[in-house]
Amino acid sequence: MDMVKAAKELLLQDKVDIFLGYRKLDGHQIPHGFTKAHVDDLDQLEISLNRYPLEKIACDLAQKDPALKIGILARDCSQRALNLLYTWDQLNPENIETLTVNCCPSPLSTHGDCSYLTPKPTGDYKKAHGVDYNDSPKDFLANHDSGERLSRWMYEFQKCIKCYGCRNVCPVCFCKECSLEHPNLVEPGVLPAEVPIFHLIRATHMAGRCIDCGLCEDACPAHIPLRMLYREVNDAVSDIFGYVPGDHIEKSPFSIIGKTVELTPAPMDV
Amino acid sequence: MDCEFVPSVCSYCGTGCGVLFEVIDGRINRTLPLKSHPVNQGKLCIKGWNLHEYINSYMRLKGPLVRENGRLEKATWDEAVNQAARRFTRIKEEHGPDSIGVLVSAKITNEENYLAQKFTRAVIGTNNVDHCARL
Ligand code: SF4
Ligand code: SF4
Ligand code: SF4
Ligand code: SF4
Repeated sequence: MDMVKAAKELLLQDKVDIFLGYRKLDGHQIPHGFTKAHVDDLDQLEISLNRYPLEKIACDLAQKDPALKIGILARDCSQRALNLLYTWDQLNPENIETLTVNCCPSPLSTHGDCSYLTPKPTGDYKKAHGVDYNDSPKDFLANHDSGERLSRWMYEFQKCIKCYGCRNVCPVCFCKECSLEHPNLVEPGVLPAEVPIFHLIRATHMAGRCIDCGLCEDACPAHIPLRMLYREVNDAVSDIFGYVPGDHIEKSPFSIIGKTVELTPAPMDV
Repeated sequence: MDCEFVPSVCSYCGTGCGVLFEVIDGRINRTLPLKSHPVNQGKLCIKGWNLHEYINSYMRLKGPLVRENGRLEKATWDEAVNQAARRFTRIKEEHGPDSIGVLVSAKITNEENYLAQKFTRAVIGTNNVDHCARL
């Protein structure tokens, strides 16, 4: 397999200190950090149908050693996440090497090799009262008035068990202090989760940031169509600012902290 | 720098969700849900997501403590087990086996739970045994 050869070369030629990919352990396809000392382990390298946030793992490593050179097996979503993490100074592009593989269909790519090729089934009750995983934000807006949209999203949000899994798994949720843990916004230790504020905080943060990998939706025990929610906010961002997060290495129109910038808004038809 | 992932089972409740520990240089740094685990299929509750915090907590007990004159003192396993055995034997002799009850936990394995009830019934001699999953 060419991928194995390429990854071995990266390690043996000291282009990277560690290579993040997948391997099979105890029957599970899981991430692994391959190193030069055990370079032959790369013979077990797998692309894995189960995706994990390798870019988040890379950030964990870079935080411990900012000079560490990291190789990553990168699907399309990883590539978008990396672009975004570069622009937010969470990873240094000079320290990252990617080996790319084909992946999931998304607004930016139509071909995929992973689990997203099979759309998630939405049950009849969810279709009638909640939000279809596979609905397009534009159709959802066109087909339901604002009252119905609210009631459908509230049906979804009130199932939340406040596990914070959506934030924990998200490759672009890297804040040291997260608003979802701020006592003035979300009361700690209180269940059920305060809705819709909990989800709307995260939705506003994902504007100009979510790279549409879908890992949050995979991790949500309450089956809330989070990916669709953040697609909805990012549709607005791309309509108004022409910005698609992770598309290329370009700062988000919202990265204005400590600077003076001029935002040029365009009209939004809702 | 070493970074490996270790599949395990959440020890917080009897559901037994599959977790994946991110281990950097020998220390657990993050917990992720194991996506291919049949029980939780890549999802966790808030306790499972934070397993690494109690493993790394400085409050974590790493050895037995024995209460001497009202204060907890470090002890060896032999000392602690002998002390417990002595005191249980005395309670049993003075007040009878039904004065003792055993509560077992979903955080230990099936086999350990089996041993605990066997110990309660056959060694202590009481049926006062229950399990937290029945609460
Ligand atoms: S799809 Fe979810 S996990 Fe992925 S970047 Fe967006 S918010 Fe984060
Ligand atoms: S939810 Fe918002 S504040 Fe929390 S980590 Fe994500 S982007 Fe940061
Ligand atoms: S993953 Fe789902 S259930 Fe958990 S906090 Fe996020 S929205 Fe709520
Ligand atoms: S993650 Fe939550 S539900 Fe799963 S075993 Fe742990 S405590 Fe129980």
